[in-house]
Amino acid sequence: MEEKVITVTSGKGGVGKTTTTANVGAALALLGRKVVVLDGDIGLRNLDIVMGLENRIVYDVVDYVEGRCRLRQALIRDKRASELYLLPTAQTRDKTAIAPEQMVQVCDELRKEFDYIIIDSPAGIERGFQNAVAPADRVLVVTNPEVSSVRDADRVIGLVESYGKGPVQLIINRLVAARVRRQEMLSTQDIIDVLSTEIIGIVPEDEAILASSNRGTPVVFNGKSPAAIAYRDIARRLIGENVPLAQPQTTSWWQRLLGRTE
Amino acid sequence: MNFVERLLGKRSSAETAKQRLQLVLVHDRAEIPPGVLALIKDDIVAVISQRVNIDREQVVVSVTHEDQASRLVVDIPLLSGSDGRAPGRSLNNAPRSSRRTPSASS
Repeated sequence: MEEKVITVTSGKGGVGKTTTTANVGAALALLGRKVVVLDGDIGLRNLDIVMGLENRIVYDVVDYVEGRCRLRQALIRDKRASELYLLPTAQTRDKTAIAPEQMVQVCDELRKEFDYIIIDSPAGIERGFQNAVAPADRVLVVTNPEVSSVRDADRVIGLVESYGKGPVQLIINRLVAARVRRQEMLSTQDIIDVLSTEIIGIVPEDEAILASSNRGTPVVFNGKSPAAIAYRDIARRLIGENVPLAQPQTTSWWQRLLGRTE
Repeated sequence: MNFVERLLGKRSSAETAKQRLQLVLVHDRAEIPPGVLALIKDDIVAVISQRVNIDREQVVVSVTHEDQASRLVVDIPLLSGSDGRAPGRSLNNAPRSSRRTPSASS
């Protein structure tokens, strides 16, 4: 089956699901695909503000599910790419406003028009998470190189597999190569050893991310910051290109001394 | 982790993080809290030592997780007769049991 619906989840909050959804979605659109990013976090929506589209929301996915608008009316076009759309969620409702079967129906409608539907899952493993995973063809789990996040990722991977949605692929977010080198941060290999899960991307810690969410401009739109490169690589792997996993580069003291960077 | 710490053979925090994770995930996956294993161990020691002489201090109860399946692994070292006591000797402390299971000492 063609893998159109991709859900980004994590278990733990604050690890970078929304940033990942925005950037991977935008990067896929920049590769010429027709993409919609769907906010799965009813009541705590943020994909709109991270993408800088918050002022254009009129209708949302709950309005569509409850029959107050057509699907097309709820879709917001992001003009920075040729075919990128946001389907926002409701801010003043709770997770029970939509059932998993309704999410599947919404995605079935979107499948007719789009190449990719990227769903930003809420944190947790309750209804919102189940809604986000129900329509998925493929699940990406975001984790930080940090014990609580890795533990939650393991739990989520087990749940996703129990729903028959595995195997998942892992995105390691906010890796600091220098701290890994000093052995004060879990390495990519450590996380692979612990979770036994395939890695689809390693995103380095990057100051450009905060600036990009401040401005509402995903990093993939402008620039060559390390995170932007990592997100573009993930998008290329998703469309089936063979992009080798690059370990985030680090410089040792003697290389810095010699003014050399790897 | 600095040079001196490494020189002193101190374990890095990343290494500690990995080991702690591996341990906690075994319990998470098996859905057995670590404290329950300690209780299981006490129970097993109590039952087994009624019949055979075991090294109580060396008993290890652990959970392993491979290919979707969890396994409760219990390692119980038997005390041999090397100290002059046959494994069956302790059965003398429990005469009724020893009579019911004479084969335990053979």
